[in-house]
Amino acid sequence: MISLATELRNLLQSGIHRIGEIEIQTAVHGHSYVLCHFADREQSAGPSFGGLELHAGPAAARDISTYAEDGTYRFTKGQVNLKRGWVMTMENEVELRLALDQFYPACVGLFLAQRGGILEIETLREKLNRQTGMYRFARSISDAGAQKLVQEVCGPAHQCAKKILWQIDADTPLDDSEASRFNGIPGDLPAAEAIPLLCREACNHFVAECRKAAKAEFEAKAANS
Amino acid sequence: MSNLAPKPASALLIVGHGSTENPDSSTPYFDHADEIRSRGLFAEVHCCFWKEEPSMREAYYLIDADEIYVVPDFISEGYFTQDVIPRELGLNGPTTEVRGKTFHYCLPVGIHRSMTELILKRAREVAPGIDPAETTLIITGHGTGLNTNSTKAIRDQAQLIAASGAGYAAVLDAYMEEQPFIAEWDKMSETPNVVVVPFFISDGLHSYQDIPVLLGIENEVGAALSQREVFRHNPHHLRGKTLFYSSAIGTERMLADVILDQIADFDIAHKVH
Repeated sequence: MISLATELRNLLQSGIHRIGEIEIQTAVHGHSYVLCHFADREQSAGPSFGGLELHAGPAAARDISTYAEDGTYRFTKGQVNLKRGWVMTMENEVELRLALDQFYPACVGLFLAQRGGILEIETLREKLNRQTGMYRFARSISDAGAQKLVQEVCGPAHQCAKKILWQIDADTPLDDSEASRFNGIPGDLPAAEAIPLLCREACNHFVAECRKAAKAEFEAKAANS
Repeated sequence: MSNLAPKPASALLIVGHGSTENPDSSTPYFDHADEIRSRGLFAEVHCCFWKEEPSMREAYYLIDADEIYVVPDFISEGYFTQDVIPRELGLNGPTTEVRGKTFHYCLPVGIHRSMTELILKRAREVAPGIDPAETTLIITGHGTGLNTNSTKAIRDQAQLIAASGAGYAAVLDAYMEEQPFIAEWDKMSETPNVVVVPFFISDGLHSYQDIPVLLGIENEVGAALSQREVFRHNPHHLRGKTLFYSSAIGTERMLADVILDQIADFDIAHKVH
């Protein structure tokens, strides 16, 4: 079986150079791989990486990806508010995978699994029905309420760059919207040049929003009865 | 330090709780993973979470190795380790084949015997020079009605430390959401000094924001640890007593060794390799 690191190398050789907001450059200044925010790519090509803050190896990935430039916590990694102004050098695919899995957890693996036809996708109902404790109430959200939330919470207009693969349930696809149509590639790049960010299950932020919406639905119903 | 033999063909998957609201919640898990990765014992070391990315169900797609040791970086054997993690990863016993991979499911770090020494180390560090004979040591946890086992690890530790000869006037257990309540720390303590050690993995919402309010150190829930400019200072003179409050037990880097110890114990108990 081919390792994920080898598959990643093959992807990069095939012309892919982007995942989420990260530009992956190969063989720069003697380093096997160089990562930066895609908006910093030109600057990074200058001498001394254009003065961008330099990090050797994957260790800085977690710190860089935790807070946005304005100091807010990036509670889901698909958010399109990754900090700029840094560059990371990697010497092999193992380091590169570690870094990418910090920036976009499991996203390389999810893409390869989807391409290989083995990615299992989970509907929103399956996800909500597994919630317990304070999130149990999220289960009671109506289909219409969930459809509305997708358009209010997901997609690049709401800072999430993931391609939604799930449906409400096995028989109920998402209503057509900018969020449901988004292809997981921010920054207008041809699909052949990027690893798309895939959303195989609703994230915990979406679950928390479902809980709030379900409560509002419940209270509105109680007020009308 | 753990003497676990290298497993160059296996992966280690550390499972944590995580949080959508608190950026510090997952820090210890990544620290433990980094520490173990730096020792080169496994082909791969990954983390996955209930409330953060990658989720437990996404973790399958992260891993190359065919053999995976799963260690819950949780403090007790309870709802998460007995219900949630097995369900999410598709495990039905100590060893399970899932879609062509072999998963070994180890016990959570918090119930390992070496935790006793870690708690004592924390208690000594937070209250240096304080006479144990004049001190009540309270180990505090969450407590939940969802699973009666959740408090067992803490009760066990309190008993072990009381019997250890460490010399504390009393060693008690107390909880956020079930009796005995940590909010009544002063009423349950007969000594002038009280040391409270939170039996949590991370300095997240509970140990750094909720419990300080219950103790009376703070009037309202403060910002997350990493966003605070001023750290809390011990001791606190409150309710007629001197209170020492430590950071969560899981922030000990030595907890990485407890993860490895649980794997070594798993191999012995289940005769792997």
